[in-house]
Amino acid sequence: MHKRNGTPSVAYDNDLAFLGDAPVLYHCHHFNLFLDQSVDDALGPKVGPALRFAAAREASYQLLASLVRAADAVTPAERVALAEHVFASMGHGRLRIDAPQGVGKAVGEHLHYGQAWFEKYGATVRRRSPADAFAAGFAAAAVDLAYDLPPLSSAATEERCVAMRAPRCEFTIRRGEPEEARPRVDRAAVAATSADGWIPAGLHEDAIASIAATLRAFLAGVESDDSGLIRAFGVYVTMHLAGYYNRITYDTITRVQATAPKMTEVLEMLFRESGHVCVFNTFGGILMSPEWEGAVGTLTGDPAEIVAGGVAIARALGFGRWRIREHVPGERLVIDAPATYESPYYGIRHGEAVRPTCYFLQGAALAIMQLAERVRWSERPALTQAFYNELFRGGLPWRVEQTRCRVRGDDRCAVVVTRS
Amino acid sequence: MSLTDMEKAVEGIAGLRGVFITLMPDCLLFDSWTREDRWHAEDVASYFGDLVRANREGLKAIEAWAADMQVTIESADSLVVLREMEGGLVASMVFERSVPMGMVRLSVKRLLGRLAVSLPAIELEDRPRGERLLDYLERYAPDPHAVRMRVALQTGIPLGELEHPENLSGGQLDEIEESVKFILGLDTLAY
Repeated sequence: MHKRNGTPSVAYDNDLAFLGDAPVLYHCHHFNLFLDQSVDDALGPKVGPALRFAAAREASYQLLASLVRAADAVTPAERVALAEHVFASMGHGRLRIDAPQGVGKAVGEHLHYGQAWFEKYGATVRRRSPADAFAAGFAAAAVDLAYDLPPLSSAATEERCVAMRAPRCEFTIRRGEPEEARPRVDRAAVAATSADGWIPAGLHEDAIASIAATLRAFLAGVESDDSGLIRAFGVYVTMHLAGYYNRITYDTITRVQATAPKMTEVLEMLFRESGHVCVFNTFGGILMSPEWEGAVGTLTGDPAEIVAGGVAIARALGFGRWRIREHVPGERLVIDAPATYESPYYGIRHGEAVRPTCYFLQGAALAIMQLAERVRWSERPALTQAFYNELFRGGLPWRVEQTRCRVRGDDRCAVVVTRS
Repeated sequence: MSLTDMEKAVEGIAGLRGVFITLMPDCLLFDSWTREDRWHAEDVASYFGDLVRANREGLKAIEAWAADMQVTIESADSLVVLREMEGGLVASMVFERSVPMGMVRLSVKRLLGRLAVSLPAIELEDRPRGERLLDYLERYAPDPHAVRMRVALQTGIPLGELEHPENLSGGQLDEIEESVKFILGLDTLAY
């Protein structure tokens, strides 16, 4: 691990990514917005954002604590500056934090969630509540660390938000009661739960590994722009915290199972959709990018090429060592992995599961099949919202089932896509 | 097969890009003719139907509504005229932007005359509130393929029951209406 601009670079174990101690990965705004929205749909407009804030604060605290140690940042000013730098370098926008001893404010410019929401949905619907619970949680964690306050104790409320047509995002920060610590999901814990080695190589393994390495080298050089955003492949990209995604996903599932168990399946469908929309847009954007053409070659549109490309992209983005176990073009796709970015968290925090829990893997595999079979690559279509909506007219011709899951005691996570 | 003899109705109308007949109050496509194969006639008919309804309600609110009102929209490359017809229908006529307004008015008059003769008599039937609510939501919500799942999750009404909105209770419909407002960020719905 080497340092660049005072921030450790990303390290990989089994194609799972880590920044400092924290599991991280790259995700686009389509995924981020849809996942947050599904949490709020399930829990309501008060509990949903509260959970997202708490998850953001917890995951950000873990990340920042390890980076503060690594950078030997001692004073509050150093620590706040480090946090603001990390936030922007991860593509989340510009955040200015001014809360001595845990009381004050933060101001956000070009925050990923608010800005992306407004650009994607602002012309269609009116937002009634702020969008940046992640930034609020990050700011609160930064303040906890900067002033050596009890971990996970500061609170932050977004008072104004660009998604609600404000000129910038503004947060108030105040002291609060510390949240009880949960079992850590760090690099060592993830490694302990996702050891590799007993799953045979999949199809096109050499090509996939080579493409993934090339893409990873490219990603290492990708930096946010002056606004603290990463615009690439037709989407806003973030380096994000797996702990945030996983906590909001599985805490929401747990609450729904307890309060409205019949709705669990619907929630799972929406979580799957967040993976589907992500892969369609981001993977599709990468496959059609000049960078792909330069590094891998011109797409022929062969379904095998698209599937292998999709799996390589997943590895490069830090989703885990996905493999193609079977692929019959037009008929069937099986993808498996010794661990996903979802399974270690679930195992550590929730233990064994009755149902498979890798929702992103499920939606992603479905979308890879869609990309392979329903996009005419030779025509280089624009992957627009209209095109995306069109895929669903008349129903999807594919369905996905997760047949194996580490947290159910299986040796791997595996999903199967077949015709509906 | 066209319900109306649209080919005959549009014959000789210069600069016409499309005609959409919307059945009100549900904003359903009744018939259409278009030169543009990229347009989705169902969507166009629904949106313009909603527009006419909103226009009507707005004019009523300022006590300026009249049965023969007409909406004209000038966009960069099209000139659109929306006009209520007898029998609960709305005609939406899309012209090339280069056609002079006077010519458009003449063409609209001629076209409406032809359509009035060729359109069959329609018996209007109120659609169930649940159907209208969900149709409205699917027209305006982002990610329309996912909105029923969102409504199910927000209301606790199973997806299977949402597939038959005509059977939903009044209480369930009230919950759905709140959910639709939440999703669209609206205080009131005109569906």
